[in-house]
Amino acid sequence: MASTEGDHREEEEAPHNEDEDTGAQIAPIVKLEEVAVTTGEEDEDSVLDLKSKLYRFDKDGNQWKERGAGTVKLLKHKETGKVRLVMRQSKTLKICANHLVLPTMSVQEHAGNDKSCVWHATDFADGELKDELFCIRFGSVENCKTFMEMFQEVAESQKKKEENKDATAAAGLLEKLSVEEKKTEDKAKEEVPAATKEEKESKSEEAEKKSEAPAPST
Amino acid sequence: MALPNQQTVDYPSFKLVIVGDGGTGKTTFVKRHLTGEFEKKYEPTIGVEVHPLDFFTNCGKIRFYCWDTAGQEKFGGLRDGYYIHGQCAIIMFDVTARLTYKNVPTWHRDLCRVCENIPIVLCGNKVDVKNRQVKAKQVTFHRKKNLQYYEISAKSNYNFEKPFLYLARKLAGDPNLHFVESPALAPPEVQIDLAAQQQHEAELAAAASQPLPDDDDDTFE
Repeated sequence: MASTEGDHREEEEAPHNEDEDTGAQIAPIVKLEEVAVTTGEEDEDSVLDLKSKLYRFDKDGNQWKERGAGTVKLLKHKETGKVRLVMRQSKTLKICANHLVLPTMSVQEHAGNDKSCVWHATDFADGELKDELFCIRFGSVENCKTFMEMFQEVAESQKKKEENKDATAAAGLLEKLSVEEKKTEDKAKEEVPAATKEEKESKSEEAEKKSEAPAPST
Repeated sequence: MALPNQQTVDYPSFKLVIVGDGGTGKTTFVKRHLTGEFEKKYEPTIGVEVHPLDFFTNCGKIRFYCWDTAGQEKFGGLRDGYYIHGQCAIIMFDVTARLTYKNVPTWHRDLCRVCENIPIVLCGNKVDVKNRQVKAKQVTFHRKKNLQYYEISAKSNYNFEKPFLYLARKLAGDPNLHFVESPALAPPEVQIDLAAQQQHEAELAAAASQPLPDDDDDTFE
């Protein structure tokens, strides 16, 4: 930003002192105590950290809109190995993007700009999940390339992890199923005669709720 | 101070009144902070728009209820009726339009009639524009009236956080207050089915051919 800041004043002018406080002495209206600051990133390692500008696609207006300018990071969780993308606005340090990098995601080039690329994510920046199309622009083609490669690599690695996890989970489930089958069968007979014997316990519970729900309205 | 239909919060909040001539960039400035976007299109504000704006500081989360008032006289609505119980204020002018600076004393006078002794920041906006009409050294009003002055650009984000930081420090009486990272909560797991994924990919392909709004500028941080 240094280069733009220099343009704001012409040379003959005396520099205006930014930090000089010319404001009146005014009594404060609140007393605030210092608090412990948590970034939420304490259990993660940064695998990428680049200056950039982020845009979100406004579907109604069919146009890209700025979301923030600052630092984009890929953060890998120290225990789970999950990776998320977090971007913060510079100066205010607010979050402009916060979402997991999933195996289903892929990053693509932006047609008109070789310093930028696009992807889809279910984003959690505002504390609620939202489908967003993102575009990110870097200061150089190299940085964009670095980002794209790392993003893709992470997505791929999550794919492998997911497969392993699926296999383990399936094996575990099978084991559990064989133990619980009899119990489920008995329970299903008693409470929900309509439910088939093959259904798992959780499923039959769901069916119970569903069959009960419409009753009051009829 | 929240509007009756606005949710109140359990952390400190302040009513911030934003005034100044029409077209000086009050709404664009607020929008920039709210969503990150830079709105080029001018649509005059009618009456007032109130937006909550949160910041994370080393002294916890704080909120400004930004009362973004109409600058154009014909859309003024309740005018100084909006200033009541204002706890801090921003007076905005446009450094590329001399008249907007000339009108600053009027905005200041009207504001001070309703709100006595509140911290006020004077903002000279659009300093990214090459042909300024009001040079930095010509801005002297803040010295006479004991206001804080910042040159800002809602377009380039130059000093865009300073008015809020200054006001927060004054309201809390803490010159060392500063902004800190807001906590990045763990995003919940999501399952994306194949149909949804295909739709996203189609949308993405279409979006990728749309130009970026500020493609020409490479000077961001």
